[in-house]
Amino acid sequence: MLGMLWTLVSLTSCEKKPNKYSAYSFDYFDTVTSIVGYAASQEEFDRVSSEVLCQLEEYHKLFTIYHRFDGMENLCTINELKDGAHRTVTVDRRIIDMLLYAKQMYVKTDGKVNIAMGSVLSIWHDYREAGMDEPWNAKLPPMDQLTEAAKHTDIEHLVIDEKNNTVTLTDPAMTLDVGAIAKGYAVEMVAKSLEKQGITGYVINVGGNVRVIGQKGDGSPWTAGIENPQEDEREPYLAYLSLTGQSLVTSGSYQRYYVVDGKRYHHIIDPLTLMPSEGFLSVSIVCQSSADGDALSTALFCMTPEQGKALIESLPDTEAMWVMADGTKITSSGFDRYIVQP
Amino acid sequence: MNQNNTTMPTAKSGGRRFRNDVIFIAALLAIVALAGLFVFLFRQPGDTVVVTIDGEHYATYSLNENMTVPIHTGQDGEQINVLIIRDGQAHVQEASCPDGICAAHKPIHREGESIVCLPHRVVITVHSTSEQDAPDIVT
Repeated sequence: MLGMLWTLVSLTSCEKKPNKYSAYSFDYFDTVTSIVGYAASQEEFDRVSSEVLCQLEEYHKLFTIYHRFDGMENLCTINELKDGAHRTVTVDRRIIDMLLYAKQMYVKTDGKVNIAMGSVLSIWHDYREAGMDEPWNAKLPPMDQLTEAAKHTDIEHLVIDEKNNTVTLTDPAMTLDVGAIAKGYAVEMVAKSLEKQGITGYVINVGGNVRVIGQKGDGSPWTAGIENPQEDEREPYLAYLSLTGQSLVTSGSYQRYYVVDGKRYHHIIDPLTLMPSEGFLSVSIVCQSSADGDALSTALFCMTPEQGKALIESLPDTEAMWVMADGTKITSSGFDRYIVQP
Repeated sequence: MNQNNTTMPTAKSGGRRFRNDVIFIAALLAIVALAGLFVFLFRQPGDTVVVTIDGEHYATYSLNENMTVPIHTGQDGEQINVLIIRDGQAHVQEASCPDGICAAHKPIHREGESIVCLPHRVVITVHSTSEQDAPDIVT
C-alpha cells in the first residue's frame, strides 16, 4: 500500500510533463510582444523565446519607418529624400518580399490596405503624439492638409525591382507606412521558421497579432478568448475559439487612440474619408497566415460589414467576427467551426 | 476437546486481528500524513496579479488582499501607474503615461487577463488557479 503511494508520488513529481512559460518584450513594432510556450525546462523556453525575439528584432529594424540604423537600408531610408527625390535603394530580400506581399493585399482589399499612405498617416501620427503629450491642446489634423497629402498615395509609384532587390518611390511626396501589415507579416515569418525547426507548443502575440504554433504541451488545442470591448461581467469574452496552428488577429478602436474634445480618435484611417473608420469596436480574423490576418483586419475596419463579408467569403479558410459600435456581433459563415464552449 | 480446539484458535486469531488492526491504523495514519504532505507539496497558490516591467518580473500580489500599489518606472522612477487591488479585482486608477489607455482599461480578475501600459512598459496579468475554463490566449 505504502509502496503504491510512493510510486504515485514519484510518478507525479517526476513525470516529464512540459511546463508553461511566458516572456514579454516592448522593443518591437511599437507594441507589446508576448511569447507563451510549453517546454521541458526554463532553459529550453528561453532558447526558443530569445530566438523569436532575435528574429522579431531583425524584422523590426528592416520594417520601421521611424528609425534608421548604421550601415543598413530599411523602410526609413527608403522614405528619405535626397536632393528633393527618393533614391533607388538596394534592400534586404525580406523587404522586397514584404512589399510585394503588400501590393498583393492592396489589390485583394480593393485599396483599403495601402502602404503608400505614409503622407496621410504621418500627419495623423504627429497630431496623435502631440495630443497625447498635451491632452488639453489635442487637435484634429485639418482636412485640407490631409486631402493634399492624399494626392501622393498612389501605390503605382512604389517601384520594386525583384531581380536587383531595389526599391524606388517615384513620387517625391510619397512615403510608405507598413503599420497595417508589418507586424503580422513578421510574426508569420518567425512562426514559419519555428515550424521548420519542428518547434511546437508556442504562441506569439505581437500587439494583438496572435499566431499559434502547434498544440499545447498536453496535445490539446489552444483556447483563445476574444475580449469583449465593452465592460460586461456576464460576457467577458465574445467568443472562445479552438486553435491549432492558425492565426487570430484582432484590431480594435480601443487599442490605440487619442481624445479630442471628449471624442476618441483611433489609429485605423480609412483611405476614402482620411478619418478614423467608424462603425466597429473590433474586428477579428481567423486564418492561416498572421500576415493575412493583420491586413484583413485593417481592411475590414474600413469596409461596411457587407463588403467585408463578401471579401472574407471569397477567401479560403478565412473567417471574421465584427463587433459593431453598439456591441452587437456579426460573424462570417464558417466562423462557428472554431467556436468552443468554455 | 472440540470446544478447546475451537476456542484456542479463536484467541489466537483475536491477537492476530488486533495486530492487523494496529497495522491498518498505522497504514491509515501514514496515508493521511502522506496525503497531507502531498497536498502541501503540490498546493496551488491563490489568485495573483503579476506585474512585469520591460519584460522583467517586478512583483506578485494576491488578488485577495485589498491594496494600492504605486508602480514606479523610468530612470528616476518619475513615471507612475497606480495599481489598485480591491474585492478580488485589479485596475489602474491613474497613470502618468501620455495615452492613459491602462487607466481606461476595465478591471481584471480572470486568468490571463492583462492591462498593458505601452509607454511605461508595464504589464499587469492575472494568474488564477481557481478558474479552470479560462482561455489560454486573450485577444
